[in-house]
Amino acid sequence: MVEFDRSAFIGKFQEEATEYLQRLNEGVITLEADPQNRELIDQMLRDAHTLKGSSRMVGLIEISDIAHRLEDIMVKVRDGEIRYVPDMSEVFFEALDSIVFLSESAGKDVSGEVDIPGLLGRLGEAAGAASGETASAPGGPERAPIAEKDDTRNRERPGASAKKPSPKKAVHEEQTLQTRVQQTVRIRTEQVDRLLNLVSEVVIARIKDDQHARDMRSLQARMNETQQLWSRVRTTAVNLQSREGLAFNEDLNLLDELLNDQRKRLSGIVKTYAEDASRASTVVADLQEHSMALRMLPVSTVFNSFPRSVRELAHQFNKEVELQIEGGDTELDKKVLEEINDPLIHIMRNAVDHGIESLPDRLAAGKPAKGKILLAARQEGDHIVIEISDDGAGIDPEKVRAAAVRKGYVSQTEAKAMSDREATYLIFEAGFSTSAIITEISGRGVGMDVVREFIVEKLKGSLDVTSVPGQGTTFRLTIPLTLAIIRALLVSVSGQTFAIPTASIEETLRVDPSEIIKVEGREVIRRQRRTIPIVHLRDVLGLEAAENIGRKLPVVTVGFSGHRIGFLVNAFVGEQQIVIKTLGTHLVRVDNVAGVTILGAGEVVPILNVPDLMYHARQITGMRVRPDAAAAAETGPKRILICEDSFTTRELERSIFEAAGYDVETATDGALGLAKLQEGLKVHAVVTDVQMPNMSGFDLTRAIRADGLLKTIPVVIVTSLEREEEKAEGIQAGADAYITKSVFNQDTLIDTVERLIR
Amino acid sequence: MNGDAPAIDESKAQQSLEILRRRAESLAQVEAVDTAAELLELLLFRLGEEWYAVPISGVREIVNDFVLTPIPRVPDFIQGVTNVRGEIVSVTDIAALMRIASDGTWAGRELPSAIIAQTDRCVSAIVVDEIGDILDVPREALEPPLVTLDRSQVEFISGSVYRDGRLIGIVNLDRVLEPIGDNA
Repeated sequence: MVEFDRSAFIGKFQEEATEYLQRLNEGVITLEADPQNRELIDQMLRDAHTLKGSSRMVGLIEISDIAHRLEDIMVKVRDGEIRYVPDMSEVFFEALDSIVFLSESAGKDVSGEVDIPGLLGRLGEAAGAASGETASAPGGPERAPIAEKDDTRNRERPGASAKKPSPKKAVHEEQTLQTRVQQTVRIRTEQVDRLLNLVSEVVIARIKDDQHARDMRSLQARMNETQQLWSRVRTTAVNLQSREGLAFNEDLNLLDELLNDQRKRLSGIVKTYAEDASRASTVVADLQEHSMALRMLPVSTVFNSFPRSVRELAHQFNKEVELQIEGGDTELDKKVLEEINDPLIHIMRNAVDHGIESLPDRLAAGKPAKGKILLAARQEGDHIVIEISDDGAGIDPEKVRAAAVRKGYVSQTEAKAMSDREATYLIFEAGFSTSAIITEISGRGVGMDVVREFIVEKLKGSLDVTSVPGQGTTFRLTIPLTLAIIRALLVSVSGQTFAIPTASIEETLRVDPSEIIKVEGREVIRRQRRTIPIVHLRDVLGLEAAENIGRKLPVVTVGFSGHRIGFLVNAFVGEQQIVIKTLGTHLVRVDNVAGVTILGAGEVVPILNVPDLMYHARQITGMRVRPDAAAAAETGPKRILICEDSFTTRELERSIFEAAGYDVETATDGALGLAKLQEGLKVHAVVTDVQMPNMSGFDLTRAIRADGLLKTIPVVIVTSLEREEEKAEGIQAGADAYITKSVFNQDTLIDTVERLIR
Repeated sequence: MNGDAPAIDESKAQQSLEILRRRAESLAQVEAVDTAAELLELLLFRLGEEWYAVPISGVREIVNDFVLTPIPRVPDFIQGVTNVRGEIVSVTDIAALMRIASDGTWAGRELPSAIIAQTDRCVSAIVVDEIGDILDVPREALEPPLVTLDRSQVEFISGSVYRDGRLIGIVNLDRVLEPIGDNA
């Protein structure tokens, strides 16, 4: 085994421990006042647990032992085995202070200064005493003699009762306080943000400086030209001067000197300026980097709660899933980190529900019973890449195609024309569900589009999914390290400059007009055996046409959700780092524009919102075959058929739908319902119970799917059956949604139906 | 509503008389109520041939040389945005919003004037044809908006005040500056 150097990690641990200790200290105080606070108990338990684990990692075994005892106590408190009583606070504080001390003096032998065995004993006692068990304290004598009293502490903490004296020396306490003050300063996030705002102003000024330096250099070039021209004029003038005499000659010499002097001075200024600017630029870059680092936190602050969430999710689906985390110490901007929690939860929920197969399926496929999800983070350049892979069934592109066609996202022909990869991306469509069936937890069409919204629109990152049927799915999120500054391509459209985030751009091309092919009234280009639709960016933005410079047409291709679109622009202006600013308080949200940036010359440039552009581009070209038109044509209320044998449920459902403005038809069993449909009753959706006389809901669903005229009607199964097998039968029968009565409420039902018949 | 009396029709003339009478009354009262009477400070501005005003409390500053950056696909009364010392502020064409004929002088000028107005919710630069004086008006001299105003216009005008032969509409900033695209 390779011996790894733990000392390098002790600093990290100390930093981390301060945070936890702080929270635990606060927690003890709050807990005294509110001993039943479940949330707090859970958090303290987690904190103690984390302390235990991380101290062990860096080899601080004593801390780990103490934290272990604290954890024991919190477990018992949580499970109701013991009640937290104020008397316990003292030993808690003692333990926390000892951890602080041990952490500060990490690595040194302090056994003579802290009575660890005694402390462990007292902690064991606290865990045991209240429940009536006898405490055992391995690793130390049951009751170590109290070394020394520390009365100061008791005076300092009026909240803590002073029954148990502390064995620690007052001297240590003083040392601890001193070192702590020197190592960290707590700052309010707003203060950091304000500072970062100022830094971004400085960055803008720096970018302007670059521009000025360029301007000055071009001025210098002009000056040199002038000088050369002047030399020629002067020579000619000297040859011609015979009549004019000395005065003219003197003027010529004066002018020559003046010009020379000017040129020298200018070149001096340009040189100094360029040097200053480049020095300042280094400083500004450092300033920017360091100030950004202020807001950086390890992703583990978010990741650490996931193993538990996954365990709970797995439990819900009767699956066994293990979450493995890699790269938890990768650092990310706090703002980004806050935004990333929800999308990650959505992806993992999706992985547990749809990715990992049920136990029998896994065994049949020869996979280990326990499913595996890997959550890995790493930094790549100025981006963070987070990958979530599962070893489940993978996404079946065929299923996605079928569902997409059924739900009207794409036409049959379009679905066929899509590559498997493109088809897979359809899961990011709003309201789309990968699953053939809607369950309460996922597959209800919320989730992946939320992920897309967060990652791409809010974080200006990108999202990618790859899947191998039978082997698993990997989601790859690429997120900028910071939200404030990104790289962008500047393009000119109809005389105006726009910025496109580089992260969204696949490539930039210059195509010959002859390469543009017209297909079904749309313009496309071929690129690496793929067909890419071409749209004029000016049409999407509603701008006037302008002349292109040169014959080749500049095209920016962007890829998003497996679609690629090439946007025709008038010219590429360049790529550079830009500082993102909002559009101000008045324009809260504007189509196509995500914000603005200020360029060197003070010019304000709108930053384009790529997903918006693609959405509108597809609308313009009519590539979107959303059944909007069809829906608009069908005026009047939607009709729904309810098949339900229970009078109460039937009437309840009827009232829910009627209140939501639906026309409701009812049938008391599946057979009657089917008869109504076959007699020509036109409905937008069928809501059916499972267990009904004559014909069950599953049979009804199968019958509807088998009928050429009826098969497109969405079927929602509402049932009290909650077992996975039944859900599976529902899927096989061809139902679109599956709602269990236990979670049944008005909104779920209406939402589900509306999503299906949209 | 402007000073050219002959152009005013009869009902307006009557109203004007009424207004003059009230104004006379209010002027007569000024002494009696003494200076403690609440004064409303208004900043006047011109749109086309008409004069309007915004309460000074809603004016942050006046900019005389802003550079406009158009933003595509926004409502037509939004001209775009401008950079006010590093802060991005929307530019509102109030004449287009209230459907008042502006003579468009601001648009013809290279560096037009604007009033940077703010409410609790947002800030915007309101472009005007000309910026006028500041006027102190006792609150009781305020009159309800003209009844002849279009209903869509009336919501933008919170009242009016008569001064020097001109009837000045007071702009309701809260209504004019509503955040755009919220919850969209």
